[in-house]
Amino acid sequence: MDHYSASDKPIFELIEGEGEKATIHPLFSIPEIHQKIVEIGRRGVQIKRFKGLGEMNAKELFNTTMDPNKRKLLKVDLTDDNAVEADQMFTRLMGDVVEPRRQYIEDNALNVRNLDV
Amino acid sequence: MYNPNEKIEPINVAEEVSRSFLDYSMSVIISRALPDARDGLKPSQRRILFAMNDLSLYPNRQHRKCAKICGDTSGNYHPHGEAVIYPTLVHMAQYWAMRETLVDGQGNFGSVEGDPPAAMRYTEARMTHLGAALMTDMDKDTVDFVPNYDETRTEPKVFPAAFPNLLVNGGTGIAVGMATNIPPHNLGEVIDGICAQIDDPDITLDGLMKFVKGPDFPTGCALLGLAGIRQYLETGRGSMKVRGKAGVEELKGNREQIVITEIPYNVNRATLVERIAALVNDKVLTDISAIRDESDENTRVVIELKRDGNPKVVINNLYKHTAMESSFSASMLAIDHGRPKLLSLKDANVAYIEHRREVVLRRTRYELRKAEDRAETLEGYLIALANLDEFIRIIRSSANRDEARVKLLAFEFTRKQVEKIGILIRNETRLVDGRYAFSEHQANQILELRLYQLTGLESDKIGAEYKELITTIQDLRDILAKESRVFEIIKAELRQIRDKHAGPRLTQLVPDEGEINMEDLIANEGCIISITHGGFIKRTAVSAFRAQRRGGKGVVGMTTREGAREEDEGDFVEHLFTATTHDYLMFFTTSGRAYVEKVYEIPEMGRAAKGRSIANLLELRSEEKIAATIRIQAKRSGTAPNVVDETWDENFHIVFATRSGIVKKSNLSDYSNVRKGGIIAIQIEVDDCLIDAKLTNGDNEVVLITRDGMSLRFHEDQLRDQGRNTVGVWGIRPRKGDLVVGIALVDAQSMLLVAGENGIGKRTPFDDYRKQKRGGTGIITMKTGEKTGKVVGALTVTDIDELMLITTKGQMVRTRVKEIRETGRNAQGVKLMDLRGVEKLQAIARVVSQEETEEEEVEPAAPA
Repeated sequence: MDHYSASDKPIFELIEGEGEKATIHPLFSIPEIHQKIVEIGRRGVQIKRFKGLGEMNAKELFNTTMDPNKRKLLKVDLTDDNAVEADQMFTRLMGDVVEPRRQYIEDNALNVRNLDV
Repeated sequence: MYNPNEKIEPINVAEEVSRSFLDYSMSVIISRALPDARDGLKPSQRRILFAMNDLSLYPNRQHRKCAKICGDTSGNYHPHGEAVIYPTLVHMAQYWAMRETLVDGQGNFGSVEGDPPAAMRYTEARMTHLGAALMTDMDKDTVDFVPNYDETRTEPKVFPAAFPNLLVNGGTGIAVGMATNIPPHNLGEVIDGICAQIDDPDITLDGLMKFVKGPDFPTGCALLGLAGIRQYLETGRGSMKVRGKAGVEELKGNREQIVITEIPYNVNRATLVERIAALVNDKVLTDISAIRDESDENTRVVIELKRDGNPKVVINNLYKHTAMESSFSASMLAIDHGRPKLLSLKDANVAYIEHRREVVLRRTRYELRKAEDRAETLEGYLIALANLDEFIRIIRSSANRDEARVKLLAFEFTRKQVEKIGILIRNETRLVDGRYAFSEHQANQILELRLYQLTGLESDKIGAEYKELITTIQDLRDILAKESRVFEIIKAELRQIRDKHAGPRLTQLVPDEGEINMEDLIANEGCIISITHGGFIKRTAVSAFRAQRRGGKGVVGMTTREGAREEDEGDFVEHLFTATTHDYLMFFTTSGRAYVEKVYEIPEMGRAAKGRSIANLLELRSEEKIAATIRIQAKRSGTAPNVVDETWDENFHIVFATRSGIVKKSNLSDYSNVRKGGIIAIQIEVDDCLIDAKLTNGDNEVVLITRDGMSLRFHEDQLRDQGRNTVGVWGIRPRKGDLVVGIALVDAQSMLLVAGENGIGKRTPFDDYRKQKRGGTGIITMKTGEKTGKVVGALTVTDIDELMLITTKGQMVRTRVKEIRETGRNAQGVKLMDLRGVEKLQAIARVVSQEETEEEEVEPAAPA
């Protein structure tokens, strides 16, 4: 909100609730629409992040990962078809030679799914 | 516990491994191991400093427990253990690791010895001025903030970095597939370089290097090799040698000791001292009698030398064998625009300048916004003060605040009206239909005016503040409009930091003179080398012998083993010759192998000492004995570092002679790379052995002399250069029972001296020996008989030469050649020395007097 000076006029208004209870949130830019909606949506909700088992209660672990109704099981397959490819990949990523590893990282740097920042 | 119809997804190992690996490696690269090019901090360091900022641990505040800092960092920003955060915090406080520390530690933060710091519950810390400077203006919207890991707070992506921390403090980090190693630099130099690059964005490396001369380590030392530094600054990658500082202190009694006062960056002092001690024990480092670490906060490692140790040689060996000289492989890899990039000095400056430009612009915009907000408020006040009575009436007549506000908002003023009370219309859009109305904000502010602010003094203050604010606003707008002013501000702020915090350069930059030549450290002195039949070698200063008159009994030259009678058990000097300490000695063994050693490597001993085992010195094979030794004068041309070693000159040759009369010639240049274990010089047949070898210049003639007094003179062009591993050709064919005892070089100014075993010798002009074809039986050189005994040796001598005569009992007599009468070829000769009883003459050798030695240094190594 600090970005806009007191003399600016809001370009949008977000009306939360209906009738008497309605509150008006002035919005000064388009990105603020998203921010505000997220802010209002989060009200009353607690978000928890787990990095590992130690941070969870047993119940939470069940709910998030172990519940047979919700979980997703992945089966690692090593067949004749992909064994060679797998071996190459392991050699490249965990072998002694650095250069191909560096090259691979550079080539695929944009395919990263989630960064642990 | 499967559900009956639970879906199981097959995945490909290779794909899964690849994806997980990429996630991991990119995480490490982007947000763990590599510093940001803009503020030079890794995320963990930045988070610690930011947590310290939260705790207001400014340089003027009290220190706080490190455990608190680490705990806050861990809890608020860095979801890892405090145990891994603490070392990072400690590192930022270690003055020997950081060129400019960012954290001011209180308590035991470890030492350059490698001692660990005290646990974090004992130590305390706060930021240093420079540490805090990294965050100056951070609250002025200068950098982006992102939510922390649990989205309860926000943390800066990067610091505003009021000084170029990346270059000043450097850093190391090992990521995946790449690593960074940035040396620290001098704050003042880096700032000057950045200012120069701002003035001239196309500045050349040479231009930058006028300011940034190279890395500057907190531990001082010297950097060797300007080429490596230049390459690093130019490309971001380069290797340089870092050398610690060692001086020599004189002690009482003419003794000296070495004192190490600076050790290379990142070298653990305790380990270094241990390493030196270990090398002394292993005899790699010699001449050291004791090592003491006398360091307090300053490094002081004392190395005591043995009585005749040469401190320069020892220092040179320390550089050669220990971490006193280390190599620093710089690789300036940093995160630039979200990607790892190898940065040159210029790139690093660009990243920093760009960052500062953004910081200054954003700060200016922020300040402008604040100023304009305040100006709005003040404008409201000014209008209110100008219409005070009316406003008070309206407020008094209003039922509630809201009504008053609405009434105020209804006011409108013409441009003239507002300008008359000193208000400047800064933006035309402020006027609606040419009229100035209050904004919500202004109306609220007016309603919150305090009564005291209506006094005359206060209203004057408001007017003055407004005027000042208008000037500020105009100035800020001017900055935003003119890029050049932004850069001026960047420079001015940097220079302020420089003037306040920059210190002098600690690391000296010296050109790499290459490896220091041992020859430069050792005086070139004449000496006599003696080798005994039993295989002992030593060198003795020429001055240790005094010249005696012919016929004297001699001084004891060497104590040979008891019972030294004939050649059976006793030891006696077999080879004796002069050399200077810089020369090389080539040794040829009776079995035809060649070894090379520098003269100064041969142990120097007194006149009466026995010497060191030659087999040990040269690592001879067990059955080998030395047949010939040739002194090769060291020759160098050019000045450091472009010294050309011309010692192994291809214009010179070596002529070998064997007992059976075989000769062979090979080129000197074949011997420039003799391994420690020796190489084959000539193939020797069974039952034969090498007796001598001579250095020739390609136009020499040689005379072969046999035991029975025969000789054969021939020109060396009758021999061609042969490879090392060959047999040779006939030189002289000795009669049955005879064998070759010597080979002498012909010199017009010299004569051939032949000595018999009964102490008889003669010298004859070479002209008396006619040139023959090699391979014949030769002509008589000494009439051998009862009086003379068999020939024991032959030498090329001049009038001014002196001779050393050695008997089978180890007696040595030095005598002048000119006192020996010159005789014809077929004569018997004169008495050279008195021999008692069964004592026989064993060997003869030419002695070069000291004056002559010095002359020789300027002459080429050509044989006489």
